[in-house]
Amino acid sequence: MIQQYVLATVAGSAVTALLALAAHKLQSARLIARLRAEAQASADTLKAEQSDRAEAIREPEQAAQHLEALAAQLRDELAQQSASADELRAALKAATDDKDQWAGQAQRIAGEAARLKHLGATFERWHEQMISLMTQNHDMHAKNQELSSIVRHVVIVSLNASIEAARAGPAGRGFAVVASEVRALAARSEELSKSYRDSLHRNDLTITSTFQDIQAGGKMIAASLASVESLANRFSSTLH
Amino acid sequence: MITAQARDSFERIFRKAAQARLPIEPGDTCEIAPVGAGDATRTDAMKGAQVVVLTISSIVFRLLLILHFDENDATRGYYLKDDVERPFQEVFLEICNLCCGAMNQELLRYFPDLGMSTPYVLSAHCLPYLRELNPDFVSAYSVTLNGSMQLAATICVCADAPVDFVADTSAMEETSGELELF
Repeated sequence: MIQQYVLATVAGSAVTALLALAAHKLQSARLIARLRAEAQASADTLKAEQSDRAEAIREPEQAAQHLEALAAQLRDELAQQSASADELRAALKAATDDKDQWAGQAQRIAGEAARLKHLGATFERWHEQMISLMTQNHDMHAKNQELSSIVRHVVIVSLNASIEAARAGPAGRGFAVVASEVRALAARSEELSKSYRDSLHRNDLTITSTFQDIQAGGKMIAASLASVESLANRFSSTLH
Repeated sequence: MITAQARDSFERIFRKAAQARLPIEPGDTCEIAPVGAGDATRTDAMKGAQVVVLTISSIVFRLLLILHFDENDATRGYYLKDDVERPFQEVFLEICNLCCGAMNQELLRYFPDLGMSTPYVLSAHCLPYLRELNPDFVSAYSVTLNGSMQLAATICVCADAPVDFVADTSAMEETSGELELF
């Protein structure tokens, strides 16, 4: 009986132990499953984190690459800008040189115009020659008047000679011919003297009008040169 | 070569200048009457034994302003008044210079390049030879100052190229006596 009881106890214990073992195994399996699930979750999280980290690492790399590309582009642009700035600087320098050259040329033109204005003195010198020529003409007028007065006197003398020859009768016939010839010569001289006077008047007008034209033309040229000088000076001061 | 309107303009410019400059006092009258074109170079048709000649030159033409005068008591009395210091011709040449200067000033509005000569006195017997200059336009006028003082004037224009312009002489003449710029 006792053995039965012992056996029953042992069997009960064994069953209990088996149940406990089964319960323990179940519990362990659950724990393992939970731990595995947690481990899996942790692994997933880690994988996700790793993936995120990798992503996070890739982003700065991409940004760095983008920045490098941008920097390269900027470098190119800078190089281009600096080249065009050099070109502009060169063009500006050329323009400044041209401007200086033009200003210099404008000043030279103004100087030349100012110098040429003194041409007026040349025209005035020519005009003075007119006074000299006209003085000579006046002198010739006076001489011609004297000649005309002599010729008139000769006409009177020849007339008197004719009268005296007529008084002398036949003896004065030859003298009358001479007196008549002298009168004819005096009349021709008078004609010549008148013609000479007319020529002198024509000369007076031609000389005066020609030399006045020269004098006035000289002043016209001087005035035009003064205008050129003023324009060149204005141009030069605009450039400076 | 000189158009009708240019001839008319030269005439109006002369009239304006003569009326402004030939009278010695601003209130004096100045009557200008044209003398027949054929008489322009006839000395017997024109008053005055002597003439004052002045030239205005441009690139395309030259204009001779010829003022006829007699140096008699009436002319001397009018221009000299009581001034016994200055010779008559000096005073009269200055008047002629002012008259021609006024024409020059007016012409400058239409011809930018002009120059004017100094005056010179010639015998009126020289005038028939104006035709030797081959003028394109000659016009003569008798000028009466204060109803009694007689002068005369001849304008002679010789052109090298066609001349055409219309002068506007309607502007009122400024007071006389100021310095001429020519």
